[in-house]
Amino acid sequence: MASGLENYVNQTVSVITSDGRNFIGTLKGFDQTINIILDESHERVFSSSTGVAQVVLGLHIIRGDNIAVVGQIDESIDSRLDLGNIKAEPLGPIVH
Amino acid sequence: MASKEGEKGKGSQSAGDNKEKRRKESILDLSKYLEKSIRVKFAGGREAAGILKGYDPLLNLVLDNTTEFLRDPDDPYKLLEDTRALGLVVCRGTSVVLICPMDGMEAIPNPFITQEG
Amino acid sequence: MLPLSLLRTAQNHPMLVELKNGETYNGHLVSCDNWMNINLREVICTSRDGDKFWRMPECYIRGSTIKYLRIPDEVIDMVKEETQVKARGRSEINKGRGGQNMRSGRGGARGAFGNRGRPAPLARGGGNVGRNPQNKNKK
Repeated sequence: MASGLENYVNQTVSVITSDGRNFIGTLKGFDQTINIILDESHERVFSSSTGVAQVVLGLHIIRGDNIAVVGQIDESIDSRLDLGNIKAEPLGPIVH
Repeated sequence: MASKEGEKGKGSQSAGDNKEKRRKESILDLSKYLEKSIRVKFAGGREAAGILKGYDPLLNLVLDNTTEFLRDPDDPYKLLEDTRALGLVVCRGTSVVLICPMDGMEAIPNPFITQEG
Repeated sequence: MLPLSLLRTAQNHPMLVELKNGETYNGHLVSCDNWMNINLREVICTSRDGDKFWRMPECYIRGSTIKYLRIPDEVIDMVKEETQVKARGRSEINKGRGGQNMRSGRGGARGAFGNRGRPAPLARGGGNVGRNPQNKNKK
């Protein structure tokens, strides 16, 4: 498959969905429509008033239709983030 | 059409073929809802309920005594209490998002309150 | 591992399904197909704002309207065997009488989508349908 996602299998990835949410998890699989399996996933909820909240979610299938971005996470950089002190506006949904 | 597929399946009897056949069959058996009241949700937010009179494999539906559940004009996904009678309608299959039987469907208080604290 | 193999393995397990319109459905997966259409039983539907709840004995959901599915963690460990069995079955088909299967597949009106490699165009088409409500939702 030529989506490029095969290089990310069993790696930690960050997924941004078209409703503006951000999921972090281990990419366990995908198919030709970019449906993906995220294992041990959590959602990062951004807020301009409080720090980034992490919500543990577990095993997910995310339908390819809603996926905007899949990016590999560098865990050594990511673990240095002080999420509790990062304040940011949440992303808006994709407007068609 | 379904019967044709079935005959082809019978021509070769390996387990793999049976699996292929099973995949082609719809996982939804609408015959069990015939003459019964069903709730249908559509892409875009419309919702209706009616007695299922007919259907095809593409999920086109014929509903009788149909009522549409009206929605907040500012929020097409927010249902109001109001309904309007539509009578006999054909629902386009491609826009059908969800089907469930009206029998046993009920509004309930928040069932997650204990888990979520 | 294919997402739809995981979903098939999750049959008879509880799950949470969020639709593109924001509604969520909690229920046990009864069945699913290659288009991610699903049947749930003993369902609790939650409105987009999380303020209204309905109980449904069962429901059918069109795959193209799904945003994501939350599946119990243990299900991922149950997939491996099934994918191997399935993969073996498929290679047998291909070796044995793949050509014949392909032909009969194409012959049937919907047969082309019955083959494992094929759902992509249909699924993508479904995605377009699903985008409209979000569009309206946004105004």
